[in-house]
Amino acid sequence: MNNKIDYKELYNSLPSGYFCSLPNGTIIDSNNKFIEHTGYTREELIDKKKFVDFLSLGEQIYFENVYSLALKLNGTIEEINFNFIKKDGTKLPVLVNSVEVKDKEGVHLFTQSVVFNISQRKKYEQELLIAKRKANDLSDELINVNNELLSQTELILKQKLQLEEFNQHLENKNRQLSSFAHIASHNLRAPVSNLLTLSDFYKESTDIEDKAMLFSKVEIVIDHLNETLNELIESVKIQGNKDITHDPITFESVFDKTLVILGAQILDSKAVVTSNFSEIPKIEYPKLYMESIMLNLLSNSIRYRSPDRIAKIHFCTEINNNEIILIVKDNGLGIDLKKHGHKLFGLNNTFHRHPDSKGVGLFMTKIQIETIGGSITVESEVDKGTTFKIILKKNM
Amino acid sequence: MLKKLIERNNITIHGSGSKSMFLVHGYGCDQNMWRFITPEFKNDYKVILIDLVGSGKSDEEAYDLDKYSSLEGYASDVIEICDALNLKDVCIVGHSVSAIIGALAAVKRPALFKKLIMIGPSPRYINDDNYFGGFSQNDIDDLMETLDANYLGWSSAMAPVIMGNADRPELAAELEDSFCQNNPRIARHFAKVTFLGDNRSDLHKLTTDTLIIQSKMDAIASIKVGQFVHENIANSKLVVLETTGHCPHLSAPSQTVEVMKQYLT
Repeated sequence: MNNKIDYKELYNSLPSGYFCSLPNGTIIDSNNKFIEHTGYTREELIDKKKFVDFLSLGEQIYFENVYSLALKLNGTIEEINFNFIKKDGTKLPVLVNSVEVKDKEGVHLFTQSVVFNISQRKKYEQELLIAKRKANDLSDELINVNNELLSQTELILKQKLQLEEFNQHLENKNRQLSSFAHIASHNLRAPVSNLLTLSDFYKESTDIEDKAMLFSKVEIVIDHLNETLNELIESVKIQGNKDITHDPITFESVFDKTLVILGAQILDSKAVVTSNFSEIPKIEYPKLYMESIMLNLLSNSIRYRSPDRIAKIHFCTEINNNEIILIVKDNGLGIDLKKHGHKLFGLNNTFHRHPDSKGVGLFMTKIQIETIGGSITVESEVDKGTTFKIILKKNM
Repeated sequence: MLKKLIERNNITIHGSGSKSMFLVHGYGCDQNMWRFITPEFKNDYKVILIDLVGSGKSDEEAYDLDKYSSLEGYASDVIEICDALNLKDVCIVGHSVSAIIGALAAVKRPALFKKLIMIGPSPRYINDDNYFGGFSQNDIDDLMETLDANYLGWSSAMAPVIMGNADRPELAAELEDSFCQNNPRIARHFAKVTFLGDNRSDLHKLTTDTLIIQSKMDAIASIKVGQFVHENIANSKLVVLETTGHCPHLSAPSQTVEVMKQYLT
């Protein structure tokens, strides 16, 4: 058996198709399996048919442009899928491996090709192909969705920044409003209590000259009260649709007005109030804020004066590192900063068991100062006095 | 600039002749298809070979779907390369679709090109009422299926689904030595542009001296198509080779070279 292998028989019974073709494609030999695949007879096939005769026009484009070229350039090609058109017109999906056979000079003699039937495999392959196309489409879609999301994220970020800016603006407005409410109550409260004190003095006094003096003071306070009211009304109009306006003011004039408003308290307390604004006499600052700051600090110093000595309160300005600073110094009760320092400017914090303590003044003063971009610091020693340093703003 | 173009189009230059010959491969292959032609001309010509973007060893990253959705994109690349290499009186040789790319380049910049040689050109593959291109829309759909079927094996490795073209150099290296292997997604797009396009109206804008080399038996561009091209180009000559197949420069290089030399002298 071993030495009697019939190669011709082996070749014909090979379980895959085989054919041999000339360089022009004409098939010159094939085994039985290939003939079976095509559905033609041996006589109809050999020397009569070409490889391309089994291919559709579309596949011929691929045959000419890809298969033939790759075979020519590489000398061999494997696993090319064609759909052979059989004699009866039905199609047989096949895989083709081809190799060029050349002579010693490299001249192409013929081409050998093996043809595998892949009908079953092809069905599965088709399913895979559809799945792959869907996956590709999905992938493209995902990329699109992703890009869409990215651009939306960018948009949201922009909106967020805008909102933050808007929020900042609202916070400023809110601060202005709280501060306004404070000014409205305090700036009116001080002159009103001043009036009440003056009217008490007036009632108690029996001396006509004193009464006339007190009455003229009442008139002045009423004038100021009226002026303050008008300013408040104006500022409501302005603040309703605008940011805070900075007015050119002189410290002296605001201070003088403060002295008049608190005239009764000063008189009553016998406090010695002095000032020196010669270093920096002017500033551009919201007038109402400055009035409120001075009013608060002065009434604060009067209120917390020491009962053991004559109260001395001094207001002055200075410039340091281009910053305009307002300094208010007194010799009053002082504050234990170690104990109370951290909540000195907090809302509703009072440090003295004093009948007038409301714990609002310093909190609002701080808010007003910070709204304009400044800061307030304090130095104090119990029973020696307190110094407030207010950095109002940079000197432009 | 030139370095960028060399990378983009895998430009190779052979020979050192005083004249310039610019060879452009057709659909499905790369500059290797000129291997029998280049040696025949490199004594008299500086022979410039390129891979169209998306083919061969060109830079796949440069494949811009918009730019290459018409053959004009490739034609502008050809002109760009000629300018960068400072070429003049170029003899441009294009196979199949690149015969049309060459024609478009010559229409755009007639002064740049002295001769145009078209091998197996077809300005329109699909038949219509008064025109025979040889194919129907169905045939082209069929081609697309064949393309898909034949990239199934390696497309998943070369162009993994979802991840796009993953960077896997070992796969690229595997393909280094085999010719005419192109990225399946690009090959599909290029096939559509090539076989569904219509450049018939561009032919009579051409003023360059043109030679049309036509295989007698060509399933892709039949003699009828070759004659149509000849009739629509003013200064053209048609030579029919006694050959079979769409690539006479590969299957019958000596005959092809002979006709080219005759025309050029």
